[in-house]
Amino acid sequence: MAETKESAEPPTILVDPIDMSKLDQSFCNEIKSMPYGEELVACFACTTCTAACPIANQWDYKPHQLIRMIILGMREEVLSSKEIWECLTCFQCQERCPQKVRVTDIFFDCKNLAAEEGKVPNSIVALGKLLLETGQLYEVTEDWQREDLDLEPEVPGLATEPLKEILKTTRTGRLVGSDE
Amino acid sequence: MPIYNLYMGCSVPANYPNYEAAMFKVAETFDMTLEYMEDVGCCGSPNLRAIDFFGWLLVNARTLAIAEKNGHDIVTPCNGCFGSLKDVLHHLQHDEEDLKRVNAELKKSGLSLKCTIKVRHFVEALYTDIGIEQIMSRITRPLDGVGIAIHYGCHVLRPADVTEFKPEILDELVRATGATVIDYPLWKQCCGATVLPVNEALAIRLARDKLKSMKEHGAEFVTVVCPACGNQLDLQQLGLKDSFGEEYNLPVLLYPQILALALGMDESEVGLELNRVPADPILDHLSG
Repeated sequence: MAETKESAEPPTILVDPIDMSKLDQSFCNEIKSMPYGEELVACFACTTCTAACPIANQWDYKPHQLIRMIILGMREEVLSSKEIWECLTCFQCQERCPQKVRVTDIFFDCKNLAAEEGKVPNSIVALGKLLLETGQLYEVTEDWQREDLDLEPEVPGLATEPLKEILKTTRTGRLVGSDE
Repeated sequence: MPIYNLYMGCSVPANYPNYEAAMFKVAETFDMTLEYMEDVGCCGSPNLRAIDFFGWLLVNARTLAIAEKNGHDIVTPCNGCFGSLKDVLHHLQHDEEDLKRVNAELKKSGLSLKCTIKVRHFVEALYTDIGIEQIMSRITRPLDGVGIAIHYGCHVLRPADVTEFKPEILDELVRATGATVIDYPLWKQCCGATVLPVNEALAIRLARDKLKSMKEHGAEFVTVVCPACGNQLDLQQLGLKDSFGEEYNLPVLLYPQILALALGMDESEVGLELNRVPADPILDHLSG
């Protein structure tokens, strides 16, 4: 009987194994305590969220993987990912989740934590700056169009100061301030 | 004669005065009194929610508290504003601690929020408070059954437990004008507008998928109830022509524009010339 030669090579793997020593056990609880985070640990990784996501095919981390990564404590990877910022906020993943995990809302929580650490794409910081400086995202520039349609040239009741005042005192102020 | 607190947000008045004008024309026809809210502005959008949850809560709680002073329901023509206000209201109705924190801030400007106010999309108010029967009785120039694809927009439909908006609302409103509602596979899909700031190519892909799906299933027109979705589906058609050589020729109309025309109003009254993909072909489908 011929002897089968055992291979000394490790099996082929598709991804590097997780470095367990780098996991942040507190991350899962942190997200769980944030708005809409409660159902997080009910995830059983069925991948329905990923199937529902219209852009998961071009993500390195799929929605169900991000949820699993949060539960495992892969804080750094999640909060530095491009995926949380590309999320369309279309809520299709959340709507389909059989375990009622609020996937999209949880990604909003992740973005807030990333923002607290200053990890925000420049284009989004720019929107924060626009809000802080002008009090709105769009300004009426072609008021003649409004007049042609029998509308007041200036939007009745519009106030931009209150939003500016609020955001000066909250994270937007710190985020935009530290950017300059 | 219902009275409403009209919350415009920033996008409709700046980018879609035709939407604003058509909404007022429709409201006048059905004796809905839309009163512009005083001393309010932008909702901050999901971008503000992403970077500054508490700031976003405060901005929108302030708007809700101002409306609570006279108690009239808030109506808005913008899905983004609707989503922000509904979400904030829902959160504060379920999180006592955050409501306390928010009220402590609002108190400084003499406001307080009890979370008793209702937030509604303009089209839902039209559907519920006026009703399809009443609307149909006023149609003088019905559409001839032409196929219209509805793009509802994510933030009016989802999360459903927060928005409490049923897609049938818009289906029935479109049918009331005499048009046919086109079924197409990607009806629930996002237009891509939200991802524009971080990944433009992705935003274009999403608009393209959506327009393709509509066109392939026989749509001749598209209707939307959100300035961001409207902008994305209308404007990207011009870009797709340049970059992919694809022509969709799908005019994108805000729902009140379609209704106002069917109610007998003139194209200039609803600012049809401001729609980027020429929308005047719809005039050929008005009978009577």
